[in-house]
Amino acid sequence: MSEVVLELDRVSIATPAPAGGSGRTLVHDCTLQVHAGEALGLVGESGSGKTLSTRAVAGLLPEGFTVGGTIRIDGDDVSLLPPARLREVRARRLGMVFQTPRAHLNPFRTIGDFMTEALVSVAGERADAAARRAIDLLDEVGVPDPSRRMRQRPGDLSGGLLQRVMIAATLAMDPRILLADEITTALDVTTQEEVMAVIADLRRHRELAMLFITHDLPLAGAVCDRVVVMNQGRTVETLPAGSMRAEARDAYTIRLLSASLPAAEAGAGTVASDAVAGVLAQVAPAPILRVDGLRKVFRVPAATGFGHDEFVAVDDVGFELPQGGSLGIVGESGSGKSTTARIVCGLETADAGTVTVKGEDWTRPARGARGRRRRARIAQMVFQDPYQSLDPRQTVRECLTEAVALHRPKASRPEVTARVDELLANVALDATLADRHPRALSGGQRQRVTIARSLAADPEILVLDEAVSALDVTTQVEVLTLLDGIRRSTGVALLMISHDLNTVRRLCDEVVVMRSGGIVEHGPIADVLDRPAADYTKMLLDSIPREGWVPRRRRPARTGALPSVATSATPVPRGGTP
Amino acid sequence: MSVAQLAGGRVAAVVRKAATRDPLVIAAVVVVVGVAVMAVFGQALAPYDPDAIYVGPVSAPPSLAYPFGTDDLGRDILSRVLAGTAPSVIGPVIVVVASSLLGAALGITAAWFGGAVDGIASRVIELIFAIPGLVLAVLAVAMFGKGLLAPTLALAIAYVPIVARLIRAGARQELGKPYMAALHIQGVGSAAICFRHLVPALLPALFAQTTIGFGYAMLDLAAISFLGLGAQPPASDWGVMIAGGQPALIAGAPEQSMFPALFVVLTVLAVNVLGARVTTWAERGER
Repeated sequence: MSEVVLELDRVSIATPAPAGGSGRTLVHDCTLQVHAGEALGLVGESGSGKTLSTRAVAGLLPEGFTVGGTIRIDGDDVSLLPPARLREVRARRLGMVFQTPRAHLNPFRTIGDFMTEALVSVAGERADAAARRAIDLLDEVGVPDPSRRMRQRPGDLSGGLLQRVMIAATLAMDPRILLADEITTALDVTTQEEVMAVIADLRRHRELAMLFITHDLPLAGAVCDRVVVMNQGRTVETLPAGSMRAEARDAYTIRLLSASLPAAEAGAGTVASDAVAGVLAQVAPAPILRVDGLRKVFRVPAATGFGHDEFVAVDDVGFELPQGGSLGIVGESGSGKSTTARIVCGLETADAGTVTVKGEDWTRPARGARGRRRRARIAQMVFQDPYQSLDPRQTVRECLTEAVALHRPKASRPEVTARVDELLANVALDATLADRHPRALSGGQRQRVTIARSLAADPEILVLDEAVSALDVTTQVEVLTLLDGIRRSTGVALLMISHDLNTVRRLCDEVVVMRSGGIVEHGPIADVLDRPAADYTKMLLDSIPREGWVPRRRRPARTGALPSVATSATPVPRGGTP
Repeated sequence: MSVAQLAGGRVAAVVRKAATRDPLVIAAVVVVVGVAVMAVFGQALAPYDPDAIYVGPVSAPPSLAYPFGTDDLGRDILSRVLAGTAPSVIGPVIVVVASSLLGAALGITAAWFGGAVDGIASRVIELIFAIPGLVLAVLAVAMFGKGLLAPTLALAIAYVPIVARLIRAGARQELGKPYMAALHIQGVGSAAICFRHLVPALLPALFAQTTIGFGYAMLDLAAISFLGLGAQPPASDWGVMIAGGQPALIAGAPEQSMFPALFVVLTVLAVNVLGARVTTWAERGER
């Protein structure tokens, strides 16, 4: 066996001890080894301690946290090294990349400043040499036109490009091991594939070892050599990546594996279609929601710095949602899918086209609270980030009571309470959680609350804007199952916006594929996902990580943060502001 | 706005935390409560008539009979400090309450409506910002005559833009969050969104600004009285007393200026400490 570059031996991590007590132990026993040139996946749900363990390696734990056990970097026990030497070891041998590159870059400084900083101040290179090397590194990670990028600021680059810049910056010190913490979680599938392809190239050329932290088991299986599964602060088992399914023994691993169904299997599990097909046959074919020729143009600052350009977010989008039906809209970020949903719910005003709900024109947002309330009883929306979509100062009960009282103004106090309890039961949320604030709930519980709130109005359409994208895989499955159950029991129609084809497959009968504001493909879910006609749909499907998946660089990288800017000669109707 | 509301109704927990961890906060509470008691009962607590001259020897150092000593007219300094609490404290309270209400209303209006309303409101805010508070106060005295009323109202106006800017920025940020969109889609009325969701979100920042503003207002008003433009001798305002004690300071009897100055400093410090801590707890509670 080759040399071990990173070793964690029975590492435990505890929170700071309050006066006279002892801290809470968050990681009990994390044991793993990364060999030279090897990619090790560290997989687990949020709260399993995977990020904490990685941060302990990099010395990035919050103030006061205590670490037990042994961490060895290249054979050096970090607890025995003097602080100056430890800093040196970490600076030169570790490279760390995080989930949110934008949060780790100073928005006012150029990419060049960021890239050369470590080279000049740590490695002591001259500024011009550092700049040349930075350009080489950017080129190595596939950033197009690197010398121009050096003068740009983070705001000018897309998320995928920024993540490559972060990777290039960690390469500056020529590390032996890369710590990658959920580096593609915030990216959509196609960008994820590009970033993973870059990493695969780098590892080949530089013999770089990698500790790859993710909650996405298929992704870890596809890009790593071995996978360590972590649960509640303990490493439960280590599996060879190629045969995870066959060799998994631990109950938790098996649960994780079954939560992340591969695309092929999921086809059989289209839970919605059979049961609802029967219902559909009986109801009138009139669509509850009809969108026609929708167009939305945003004004964005011009690339030249003067005036503004027009960015077409949605261009001639039309579809119908049958009563009690379910329609998915999929596409990458920037495809206009969320803008479409926001127009339907009256959060944006369309520049052209019509939105018709139950034969009524909804193109203009409702004016006044009464109009909004009337529409609220027909269409409701669930957002991506459950924490941000709840008022942090309200308890669950206060939040639901407000919604119920709003739509049942004549209900007495006990009636409202009874309805709130019923809603909690509908979303399978324990009544003991009702008096908690959102901060004291898990992500899945929070999303259940927002779903319960949207059900308070007894809506006929539920718009789900990436409603499960921010959740762990197991929680995703729970929430999707819940939504499916709600759909069966209430007959609510679902309009589901997602970049994840698998979640759409689980809930929807029909799917619309969007790209750069337009519709690429539209049809029944099985037809589109199993026999895609458009190349773009094929590419989306191909970029989903699965067993035997090899990330590929498919296309020249985008040249800016925005996929396209209107250059058409057709006059653009003036309308709302972004 | 009460401390209870700010901390999300967890007063008991907050008090317990304060008692075990934060002696500074306890000291601040003691000072603030003490000053409040002095403001209400000051006249009654005073051992002597604060305006009566020659109740004791002239410029006497602190003693059992005259704990803070006497001034150059033989008035008891303790009695004058006690009696002076109310006029010295009420002015700043009026300044911060008025400027907080006006500023919050202006800031929320600007953020809520945006566009032209925001443009006009922001220009008004900048216009007032351009005039220093003390200059406005002195101007008000020149126009409406000496006394505390004119400078107090002038300072209240001068403090409006600071609050308005802070609240406008906070409100814009809060209005951009998805929960506001969720409330909008729910069909919650604008007034309910504003007063039940937006305003509580802004209270911690408003409270912090109010306490800082209190300190500045107290110092500004003391300065105006010190300059002889505010409360007029023989009134026992702290600023007037500090000014009146100047000759004695040189003559080697610092008590006349020192004790009222000490109370100005203590009050300002205590209110600031309290404001900072309460805001921190409220924000921590939200996460």
